[in-house]
Amino acid sequence: MNWGTWLDYTVNGLVIGNIYALLAVGLALIFGVANLINFAHGSIYTVGAYVGWVCITHLHLPLLLTVPLVLLASAVLGVAIERLALRPLHNASRIAPLLATIGISLVLDQVTQLVFTPNPRALPSPLPDWRFQIGGGSIGTLDVLILAVGLGTAGVLYAFLRFTKLGWAVRATAQDMDAAKQMGVDTNRVNMSVFAIASALGGLSGMLVGMYYNNIDPGMSFDATLKGVVAQIIGGMGNVPGAIAGSLLLGLIESYGIALFGTSYRNLFAFVLLILILIVRPNGLFSSAKETPPEPMTGSFVARGKPLAIPRPVLVAVAVLAVFVPFVDSDYVVQTATNALLYGLLALSLTLVAGTVGMVSLGHAGLLAIGAYASSLMAIELGLPVTLSIALAGVVTAVIGTLLVFPAFRMRGHYVSIATLAIGQIVALVILNWNSLTRGPIGISGIPPLSFAGIPLYDAPQAYWFVLVVVVALALLQARVLSSHLGRTWRALRDDDVAARAHGIATDRYKAMAFAFGGFGAGVGGAVTAHLYSYINHETFNAQISVLALTIAILGGLGNITGALLGSVLLVGLPEVFRGLAEYRMLIYGVVLLLLIRVRPQGLLGTA
Amino acid sequence: MSRPLLELDKINSFYGPVQVHFDLSLHVNAGEIVCLLGGNASGKSTTMKTILGLMRPRSGTVTFDGQVISGLETPRIIRAGIGSVPEARRLFGAMTVRENLLMGAFIRNDAAGIRDDLARVLGLFPRLHERLGQRAGTLSGGEQQMVAMARALMGRPRLICMDEPTMGLSPRFVDVVLELIATINREGVSVFMVEQNASLALQIAHRGYVLQTGRIALSGPAATLARDPRIRDAYLGGEVAA
Repeated sequence: MNWGTWLDYTVNGLVIGNIYALLAVGLALIFGVANLINFAHGSIYTVGAYVGWVCITHLHLPLLLTVPLVLLASAVLGVAIERLALRPLHNASRIAPLLATIGISLVLDQVTQLVFTPNPRALPSPLPDWRFQIGGGSIGTLDVLILAVGLGTAGVLYAFLRFTKLGWAVRATAQDMDAAKQMGVDTNRVNMSVFAIASALGGLSGMLVGMYYNNIDPGMSFDATLKGVVAQIIGGMGNVPGAIAGSLLLGLIESYGIALFGTSYRNLFAFVLLILILIVRPNGLFSSAKETPPEPMTGSFVARGKPLAIPRPVLVAVAVLAVFVPFVDSDYVVQTATNALLYGLLALSLTLVAGTVGMVSLGHAGLLAIGAYASSLMAIELGLPVTLSIALAGVVTAVIGTLLVFPAFRMRGHYVSIATLAIGQIVALVILNWNSLTRGPIGISGIPPLSFAGIPLYDAPQAYWFVLVVVVALALLQARVLSSHLGRTWRALRDDDVAARAHGIATDRYKAMAFAFGGFGAGVGGAVTAHLYSYINHETFNAQISVLALTIAILGGLGNITGALLGSVLLVGLPEVFRGLAEYRMLIYGVVLLLLIRVRPQGLLGTA
Repeated sequence: MSRPLLELDKINSFYGPVQVHFDLSLHVNAGEIVCLLGGNASGKSTTMKTILGLMRPRSGTVTFDGQVISGLETPRIIRAGIGSVPEARRLFGAMTVRENLLMGAFIRNDAAGIRDDLARVLGLFPRLHERLGQRAGTLSGGEQQMVAMARALMGRPRLICMDEPTMGLSPRFVDVVLELIATINREGVSVFMVEQNASLALQIAHRGYVLQTGRIALSGPAATLARDPRIRDAYLGGEVAA
């Protein structure tokens, strides 16, 4: 490549970096004052993009009017989120606000989709299309605008934090909220202002990115949140200048990465970089300290509550009833029930890892993907019997899953959630790019159906019974383990890992056992799903499934086995019963999550 | 007799199901240094939190200068004229000493007055002069305690609440800090301090209360309390016969 091309990639990297910076700066401000990773940030960014789209393509407003409107609308949305959804959670367990932002993002994304349809829209830049030639490369007007907005924002933010009273209040609150209150700082107002500023910048970022690619769609929010979080972690959580530097670095790395390896590798760089930073410098590139700051999200991370005791005869009766479900004589009902049971497998696994051991994983769908691919490939390429390949896929998932998450064992609270989220994404990206093994974007088709003792199980009831047996067996095994010494040790890790270590418990080893156990169940679940679907690709098990699994586990009560299964039936089964609601499904999940956190944080059956 | 500056009246507070205060009543008159003594888990820090609005009592009232402040948010209570020197100082470690002092004046808007007070406070704490541009987190414990006290003064409070001001200080600094508290008081600021170290606190205080498992076990002029053998007994673990 010649110099001009390199220059173009550099400009592109800086432009993207500035767009990330607008997101990351807001995330850093929010993390600073509220100790929270705002997973709804990308949704605000999407809303900003659509407000810009309405202003420019429908109202034909000039850019000078559009920008303030986007800033205002996004700020109002941010304030509403803080005031209505987050402030009431002040005294809730530490995980509650984080989950609430996930719920909000589900709701906002679905509403955006309902209002504007899922179809992508063109968001043309209203700027004149001039290009300036510099040393063989070129810079367009929009590039200049985005770079100027980035620089300008950095300058304004610096002045705000340094020279204004509210800026001082923000810095003081970020360092010590109680002490700030004792100086007379109204920290509620500080919080609200920070959400307003962060959201305004996030919305602006969404509009600019829409113009840059001349394309917006409601699905863009998840990626945006992730990129903002990655950039912020590179720079150090809560560190505003660090967030800007981290964003520019991320933009450049992505741009050069695309130049060297191609577009499909783009996100892989971001997430691998994230994991590396979390392992090597968890406080970000610009901090000298090696230890992560005392994370407030331990111990009380999971809402506490007593599990409801359900009499054994009731459980047995329900299990017996479940056997007779296929006799309703409707393939649709039976398939739905099977689907609910498969989610039950995933939720059992997640409720163990997140509830019993206290590592809230946001990348659990990655385990499904590993299991699904492992079993499919073993059945197709090696010709193994399906029952054997499913069991082996469980083992493979247990091993790979545990190894992948191993670097996250030393992390706590927020960091675990982010690391697992990234690992889940990495799994999907590796599947996408490892053409020779996984057939890349084409996916795997012609996966043999479930079979037992060589007899293929073609009809819905047979598949249902197969899955039911697997679920009941794994649930009983998990219950047995939880009441053993091992289960007690896991709960001790969750409640206080420092104390557990002080009592001679090798925490890494026990976390590995939990992930291996959970990985086996999830891997089997993914494998069974693959044989039922007969076709899978890298998007079959996406991050939405991870979020849904977490919602199920929380609905049932974290750590609660019966709760995980009940949650699956309620969340996966019921929306199918009311078929007309299918379109609103993510909205329902989001609202359920928000209501639960507010009304019954310990879940329906209580945390165990 | 004139009304006290600060008055706690029949406070009952709880941590969940556990009751911390039982009908706690005490007061601070204008111009006084009053210390609240007591061992671990006697409810001293909770008393401080209750005054500052960081915790709500289940019943009872806190009155400051004739105004009921129990139930108000902390920032409102600070604005009413109470300064706070929190336990373990709680400076803004990444901000400079100067910025910390100015944060103390957050509730004020008179730029000229703040400038004068900064000079006045630095006159009281000359050591801080050379430290103004330094990050507060890099100071020694004694210097940090000075910053915390100076910071509280910057809000021009009529009452300063100090939570364990001598905790963790070297013996030399303990004397310096006590002397400074007396100086602040001579300048017209009333002081309510919570202390574990009874004999030290009683050297500078006018009056004292002894708190035991949420109840006032003893109270009186500092000189009387200092001579009271029961104080010694109480701190050696004995019961105070009320």
